[in-house]
Order: sequence, then structure tokens, then C-alpha cells
Amino acid sequence: MGDQLKIAVLVKRVPDSEARIKIDSGSGGIDPASVKFVVNPYDEYAVEEALALKEKAGEGEVVVISLGADSSQETLRSALAMGADRGVLLKTENAPTDPFAAAQILAAELEDGGFDLILSGKLAIDDYHHATGIIVAELLGLPGVSAASGLTVESGKGSAEREIEGGVEVVDFQLPAVVTCDKGLNEPRYPALKGIMMAKKKPLEVKDVTPADSGVEVVGLDLPPARPEGRIVGEGVDGVAPLIAALQQEAKVL
Amino acid sequence: MAKQVVRPSDKQPDLPIDKIVLTEKPDDEVIEMDVLFVGGGPAGLAGAIELARLIKRDNENGGSLGDVEIALLEKAETLGEHCLSGAVVNPRALRELFPDLTDSDFPLGNPVPKDSVYFLTPGGATRLPTPPTMHNKGNYVASISEITRWMGEKAEELGVNVFPGFPAAALLVEDDRVLGVRTTPTGLDRDGGETANFMPAADITAKVTALAEGCRGMLSQAYQQWQKISSENPQIYALGVKELWETTIPLRSVIHTMGWPLPRDAFGGSFMYPLSENVVALGLVVGLDYRQANLDVHGMLQGLKEHSLFERYLAGGELVEWGAKTIPEGGYYSVPSRNHGDGVLLLGDSIGLVDVPSLKGIHYAMQSGIYAAKTIFEALKAGDTSASALSDYDRKLKNSYVMKDLKKTRNIRLGYKDGFIAGTIKAGLATVTGGAFPGGRIAMEPDADVEKVVGGATPTATGRLSVSKVDGVFKSGNSTRDTIPEHLQAGDDIDQATAEMYVNMCPAHVYEWVDGGLRINAPNCVDCKATDVLGPRWSPREGGSGPKYKRM
Repeated sequence: MGDQLKIAVLVKRVPDSEARIKIDSGSGGIDPASVKFVVNPYDEYAVEEALALKEKAGEGEVVVISLGADSSQETLRSALAMGADRGVLLKTENAPTDPFAAAQILAAELEDGGFDLILSGKLAIDDYHHATGIIVAELLGLPGVSAASGLTVESGKGSAEREIEGGVEVVDFQLPAVVTCDKGLNEPRYPALKGIMMAKKKPLEVKDVTPADSGVEVVGLDLPPARPEGRIVGEGVDGVAPLIAALQQEAKVL
Repeated sequence: MAKQVVRPSDKQPDLPIDKIVLTEKPDDEVIEMDVLFVGGGPAGLAGAIELARLIKRDNENGGSLGDVEIALLEKAETLGEHCLSGAVVNPRALRELFPDLTDSDFPLGNPVPKDSVYFLTPGGATRLPTPPTMHNKGNYVASISEITRWMGEKAEELGVNVFPGFPAAALLVEDDRVLGVRTTPTGLDRDGGETANFMPAADITAKVTALAEGCRGMLSQAYQQWQKISSENPQIYALGVKELWETTIPLRSVIHTMGWPLPRDAFGGSFMYPLSENVVALGLVVGLDYRQANLDVHGMLQGLKEHSLFERYLAGGELVEWGAKTIPEGGYYSVPSRNHGDGVLLLGDSIGLVDVPSLKGIHYAMQSGIYAAKTIFEALKAGDTSASALSDYDRKLKNSYVMKDLKKTRNIRLGYKDGFIAGTIKAGLATVTGGAFPGGRIAMEPDADVEKVVGGATPTATGRLSVSKVDGVFKSGNSTRDTIPEHLQAGDDIDQATAEMYVNMCPAHVYEWVDGGLRINAPNCVDCKATDVLGPRWSPREGGSGPKYKRM
């Protein structure tokens, strides 16, 4: 048995990494038609870690918070189905692409929440900022640990492992704190049927928010250029010489 | 020298009914529902929507049913991802299901601009008069993935508990009564051991379980065998392989072809439909009673794409999606004699509600869902969900346009069992006589009993428009975990001739003959079920496995 833990988890609705992305010529953003949206996979590690920490502590509450349009309710329901206790949607049709503006809204919501721990993914796979969670820590004046691949919490203190070049860095910190989660931290659970049933009845609060003017503007999105078609230079042993020649003369990598 | 033949049924294991029909008590953690639909295709969704609406209306009018929990299980991760059809859709059942909406509210795409039917030879195409059954005026080109996704939203708005990602693996029964189903467990490794995120199977019970699993549903087959329900003819099947292409030249017609690249002793044909201004759906469908052991539907589709009729649209285009699915083709005489039981109803493709001559099944599936809902509603109100209370479903079906349509064309597909020329003559006579020719039922044998001659070759291609089976699997969106337990059960001592028949039959490169043995690449499987008809037995995997069709 441990302490009672109150944990907030920030979750974001993102396009599935297998989705075939198209750019909408009107809005300049991605065309949401026929794109499947999922819970940001790194945020799933955060939800799983929060649930595991709460289960270990024996008591506590896991609150999942999302910033986005009404459709993000689905993202919150997914986290509730995994086992989170309640959800909060900070609703806006114009969710900022600037991580600072997003962090301001999230920090305002978290400020008086009395959380011992705030978790999020280390990045969202749609914009790859790696920043929002850490800016939240800064705005709240809390210790911030990025990209944790191991986490323990005990008696008001935390310890996180971070994978760095050639080794593992161990960081000790005081709670409350903000930790962003990396792959390898855990294996997120699948939602059980019973969990999904119960999730429908769990509280989900929707609060309208208005993002502040952002200093950052997205000028445009472009798809990566199409890759030229591959070519078979030869098969088996016969292919070795032409391959080396192609790598030296054409690709100029040898 | 005598021709070497393979008879698929010689090597096919029986359906393991004792593992599918379970008499043990439901688990303590059982989820109790009032009504359960198994399968999120057009049949199950139409049933759930109609039932939810009937109950809502009844409650608003002072009825006493109160809260009725309706659940719908779907094995795909998201609704629509395992649904595949041509498809030219007759909107009749959708209109009945949504009387307050108009056709433009449905996700139906374009009205059929015009019908063109061709007889193909390797280098040519002869335009044929469109057979009466194949006129599509008033119908729409549509994607069944999109239709079911949309219907799922409607069902959820009405309070139906839609559970995608939960395949049903067994029926829970007590005496003759169906109590509910058990789902597949999730997170097992290849040897059946539990991984870190293992989740056990869940039991769900209901007063009525409606099996709407689609073609060759495992629970439906098991129920019919367990209850010894038969049909005049055995069900027969076809395999369709379908591709979606983005094109630069718009297609202005719905095209069907007969003839090449099929051998004359096989039944089938191809289609190409304009799904939108720059997307065409094309595919090839072949009856699994084909006679050449190495017939390869996917391979033939690759050859077909280089025919000038198709190539002119596809050149410069791009393959967007690929998929495969079997279709029940037996028609009227293959519909089981009884489609209800104690606590259970069977719907749609599970009972073969497909009319091959008009190439339609979606609206029949939906219609069976509507009849199931009306029957269940009355049964709930009467507080009696026994077999006799649910027997009204079969009465409704029998007196409906669904069975009347199937009866009218009852022998057309069956006439082709002796090849294309005899079949065309018989189909013509059956059509002009309104189904009266040939005066009785043409008897069929199960596809797996039809002998296949080893050898021969069917046209294929490896040109620029071609996709390999493995690339096709990738384009189906299949991202099944590699370490999942094997879900395909082959017979003992598979010989090379049988194995090579599997290799050619399977569009997803699941089977290989390697070092004198059959290798099964099970994660490739796109759940088309052709293997369950002719080869190793199929069973559902953990939720979310298999293809992820978007616009199929």
C-alpha cells in the first residue's frame, strides 16, 4: 500500500500513423475525410502508467484531459475505457498548433487541480513538437522530466529513467511534477468490453476555451516528394558489383 | 495417363463444433445485455438501428419495455474495416430503415450512370445487351465500408452499444437455447501464452442473439450443424478480389464483363465501377467450384487490368486499396430451411441472402436485419424469446421481396456448373421463363467436393499495373501482430498438389509449399474465408486483426 495519488494525463487525438494523409487545399490543414483518428500512442503509455501507479498505490484518481474539438471526446472515452476515472475536454474548434499556446490552456486547467503527477506523451505523432508537456511544467513551476522510459513514485518523490546516447540517465524529483512518457515505459492495456461499457457512464466534463493569439503561424503543409521507383541491379552474387558501383557513383554514399 | 485431381474436402478438417458451441456456464464476469447482434455489417447494423428505434418509439408512446440494452460486436478494429463489396447498391432497404432521410443523406456516392456488359477475349471486348437482371437504373455506386461506418454512427446515436474490436469465438448454449457468445481473448503469443497486455475472453449474454457474421460466419455454421439445419442445396461460394484505383480519366459507366480471363469451366466475371470522379473500384469474382487446381483469382485480376478495356482508365493511376472476400452464391435453394431458434436469429450473408444474377446482397442483408428487429421487438414485448416466438422472422423473410427475388432467379447461377456455354443458354432460358426453366432445382455439391484438375495455367501479369499478393496485403491495411496464435487449421499430411491449390487460391499469400511441407503465413490473412470453403479452417483472431478497409 502506498499514498493516494491524483494523476492527470494529457491526451491528444491524432491521425492514425497508417493513415494516408492528404492536404486539404481549402484549409491548408490535413483533410480529415477517410482518416482514422486514434489516441496519440505516446499518450497511451502515459495513461497506462497512470493506471498502473494508481493500482500500485491502491487509491487515487486518474483524470484524462484533452484539448481539441468535440471529436476529442472519443479520445477521452478510449482512455476512460482503459480505466481512467473521469475526463475533461477543453473544447475549441481552433486548437493551437503552437505548443506554447496549447500549454497555456492546459496549465490553466491543471493549476488548481491538486494533482500529484501530470503525465503526457513525450510527443504527439501529428506535429512532433516534443514540447507541450515540458512547457506545462515550466508554466506551473513544477519539475519536468522528458521522455521517461521508467518511472517509480513513492512518499512524495519520483524517480525516472531516461534513455540517453549509450546509457540510461536516472532523474530523482519531488512531487508534484510533470513527466512525459517514452516508448518502453510499459505495454498499454487493451480496453476490456466491461471497461468500454463502464466508460460510457463515467463523467466527462466539457469546458469551452479560447486559445490566446499565438506567435506562431503555420504557413503551409507539403507532402514529402514521391520517392523514385526502386531498381533491381542484379540478383545474388552477380548483384554485388553493380550494387557497389551504384552506391559509389550514383548515390555517392561509399 | 489419367489426369491428377484434388478434391479439397479430402483434406479439410471438420468444423470443431465442440469448441464453438459451449455448454459450460457463462463466466462470473459476464456482461448481460438484452439483445446482441454479432457482426457490424449491413445486416447487424440495420437490425440494431431498427430495434433501437422501435423500442424508443414504444417507450415514447407509453410502452413498458423501458431500457433495453442492445449490443453489437464487430471483429474489425473500426466498423467497416472488414466490409467489402462491389458495390452497386439498391437503396430500397435504406429508405425503409431511414424513412425521414432522402437518398442524398445516405453515403451512397453516385447514381449508376449507365450499364455496360462485355464479353472479353484476350485482345477484344464485345458489348452485350445488358441482361434484364443487371439493369441498375435507380441504384448507386457505393462503398460498403463507408455505409457501415455511417450506420454505426446512427446506431450509436440511438444508444446501441457498438463494440468494434471484439470477435465472437463461441456460442454459449444451454440445451437448445443460445445464451450469448464468448469473444476471442487478446494478447496471446504464438504458442498461446499470455503476454503483458493479455485480456481474457469476455462472455456476453442476451435474450436474443442475432448472428450477422457475414459470409461463412463460424458461429452461424456451427449453429446450423449443431441444430442439423439443412438447405435444399449446400451453400456455394465465390471469391472476389477487389482493388480501388485513383485514376486521371473519369469512368462514366458501370462495367461488367464475362469471358476472358476465366477458363470456360469456371463461373464468374469482373466489374469496374466509378466510386467518385477520380476513383474506380474494380474486381474479379470467381465461383469456388472452379475446375483448374491452380486457378488464381488475384493473378487473373492482374492480367485483366492490362486488357485495353481496363488499362485505358488505370494507366497513369494509382492503387489505393486492395481486398478480398467470399460471397455466398447458392441463392434460393441454399438458404437454410430455418433461420431462427431458441434465443437466436440468423441474418444476411450468414444465410446466403445474395442474388447473383443482379449481383446484389447488401439491401437483402439490411432487410433481414429489419425483419429480425421487428421479430425481436414483438418477442421482447411478449416476454417470450423462444424458438416459436422468434419463428415469425422466417415467415417475414419468406413472404418478402427478398425470397421472391431469389426465387425468380433460382437456377441462373446453378446452370453454370457445367461451364460457360451451357450456363449462358440455361441462364437465358431461366430468365425468359421467369425462373420456371428448367422446371426444378439444379442440384449442386459443396464447392469442396468438386474435383480440380492439377495443372493448366490461368492468365496473369507482372506489368506496371500489377500488384503482388504481398503488396496487396499491405494495401489492405493489414497490420496483424506477427506473434499472434495461428488461426488457420489445415488437415493432416497435405500433399503438394493440394498445397499448390491453396497457394493459388489464397489471394493474400498465406500458403506456401516449402521444403516438402505446407507453410502458413497466418498474419497475412485478410479474413476473406475462401480458405474455410476449400482449405484450412478459419477462426477469428484477436480483435483488430486482419484488414483495415477504408472505402471497400
